[in-house]
Amino acid sequence: MAKKKTPTPPVIELRGLTKRYGMGDAEQTALDTIDLQIEKGEFIAIMGPSGCGKTTLLNILGLLDRASDGEYFLDGKTIERMSAARHARIRSQQIGFVFQSFNLINRLSVIENVALPLAYKGMSRMRRLKQASDSLKNFHLSEREYYMPWQLSGGQMQRVAIARALVNDPSIILADEPTGNLDSKASHIIMEELSDLHKRGNTIIMVTHNPDLTTYASRVIRMLDGQIDSDTKIPIKIEDPAAKVSLSSRRTKPTKPAKKTKLKAKKK
Amino acid sequence: MNRPLIIEHIQNAYHSLKITRLRTVLTTAGVAIGVATITTVLSLSGGVTQVIAGQVTALGGNITVVRPGTPTKGLEGFTNPTTEQTYTTSTITEQDYDNILDIKGVESAAPLMIINSSLKSSSNTVRNGTIVATTPDLADIAQLPLRDGQFIDSVTNKNTAVIGTKLSIDLFGTDQPIGQTFTAGGQQFTIIGVFKTMNNPINFNSVDFDHAAVLSLEGGKSFHQGIAQIQQIDIKAKSKKDLPDVIKRVDASLTNSHLGEKDFSILSGNAIAQPANRFFAAITFIMTLIAGISLVVGGVGIMNIMLVGVAERTREIGLRKAVGASNGNIIVQFLVESLIISAFGGLLGYIGGYAIAFMISTFLTFNPAFSWQVVLAAFGTSIIVGGVFGLYPALRAARKDPIESLRHYH
Repeated sequence: MAKKKTPTPPVIELRGLTKRYGMGDAEQTALDTIDLQIEKGEFIAIMGPSGCGKTTLLNILGLLDRASDGEYFLDGKTIERMSAARHARIRSQQIGFVFQSFNLINRLSVIENVALPLAYKGMSRMRRLKQASDSLKNFHLSEREYYMPWQLSGGQMQRVAIARALVNDPSIILADEPTGNLDSKASHIIMEELSDLHKRGNTIIMVTHNPDLTTYASRVIRMLDGQIDSDTKIPIKIEDPAAKVSLSSRRTKPTKPAKKTKLKAKKK
Repeated sequence: MNRPLIIEHIQNAYHSLKITRLRTVLTTAGVAIGVATITTVLSLSGGVTQVIAGQVTALGGNITVVRPGTPTKGLEGFTNPTTEQTYTTSTITEQDYDNILDIKGVESAAPLMIINSSLKSSSNTVRNGTIVATTPDLADIAQLPLRDGQFIDSVTNKNTAVIGTKLSIDLFGTDQPIGQTFTAGGQQFTIIGVFKTMNNPINFNSVDFDHAAVLSLEGGKSFHQGIAQIQQIDIKAKSKKDLPDVIKRVDASLTNSHLGEKDFSILSGNAIAQPANRFFAAITFIMTLIAGISLVVGGVGIMNIMLVGVAERTREIGLRKAVGASNGNIIVQFLVESLIISAFGGLLGYIGGYAIAFMISTFLTFNPAFSWQVVLAAFGTSIIVGGVFGLYPALRAARKDPIESLRHYH
């Protein structure tokens, strides 16, 4: 959606965004007048100690929460005055979430979990399952389509969750500690997937505690006490050829660019 | 939304209800019991009404009846029926009957004076037998079929009687009673005719002619010091078309002769059945009340189980919202679930209710009625119960904060 408007506004623009909890004496400021611009195609890692407001920021960006003050422009449009139903529609069409705890629905099979966001776009069941299947293929989970979530490993569950976040072709992907529940092996596979998505032109905003993961990002934002402490752009991605080789050898199949274009063509 | 999600919601509800199979079945049973009671009661009382309405139609649809007492309507009709006045003097007099005969459009009319008396033959006694004193026209109006002998007519003696086959067997031990005598109220009556077995205790005359003895009006008056105590006058109009006009004229004439006092009611169509099924009406009322209570209990069950379901699926709700479900989607999702429970309960209750009604009807002389009203009542109430009691849990689900919900652990 946003792809067509590349020269125009940034995907996300925050002006003086503030979030306060509680009232009176107990009032706490989770986000303190944040100004931020995020361009299309950036891979942002938000770092910072616990309670610095990273997750609150992510929730506001994902329209799960509303700011107390300030402005939030998504694709150039202010979202403050939109109804809750309109927010839901934006979540359905433009935002993909990846959670620390995966949040797969246990009674639904893998493919149904991936197809879930499409239901709220009003797509027919057949088309949903087909698109979900395509999405899973990208993550090499085709043979797990009819597994139940509890039959998968943590890394596989998170890949399913990423497939779900991507299935409706969102303009931003929001990931809240996507590797927080995974061991380092699985973490790297997940980060490879995210990095791969980034290379394909997706905008990714990731909250993390793990400084190692910032190597995948194109921009690192450090937060402290509800404010942006530092904002570093990493112009050229630092590649670690050794790690890259070992990671790709672990993967069952390399991602085929031909398939990607096919998938994109189908989505149009 | 380009397309309603109702099919998805139904599939989804089916899945989640299947997983919690036992509690779904139990909750469904709660609704089914209430609906079954309603179905049973309504189909049986409908059966009574249908039997009587059927008779009226079969007789040409041109019958109307006059009964003493003001017409009762609505709830009062169930709880305080004023039509039966066994121990008081009837407000309808023989004079009324004579007046009706003169009204234009009336083909014939017959008064019914119903007397409870014990009947004695030489060998047997029937306590609380029913004696109907009337005029010869009743045989035509109510189409009472004779098996043997003759009906009372203008020349028969006032000490003659026509009796039903079953009464004959009770009194004389034979179904060939002609020429035999019985005593009632100190007088002796000779039997001149016997009815065919009609097996029709529920009819618009409220008399089971199989168990009744029919006397002339003169004969009946001798039980009451020569005064007719008329419980009902059957009026047959010349044609069905004339009936509304006849009713108006009868009303005007009776109101006039009763000095403006409306102490009678003129009934036609299904209303004729009303006092006859008074007993059923009372049962209907009480049973409907019980059914209503059990439906409320069933509804509370639905609400309870839905609240549990909402609490259990807090994370799912959070996730669904995160991936684009609006509050409306969530409400509908949970509402569909409770409606499926209640509609399924309604279906089971409807089937079960008819099964019970048919079982009961083997002891009765009529079948339960199938009518769209019963279908409507069964499914209407179940859907309303599902909707009303499912709404709060659904709203609660929709109001959940997605962030809190996603943080929720079980």
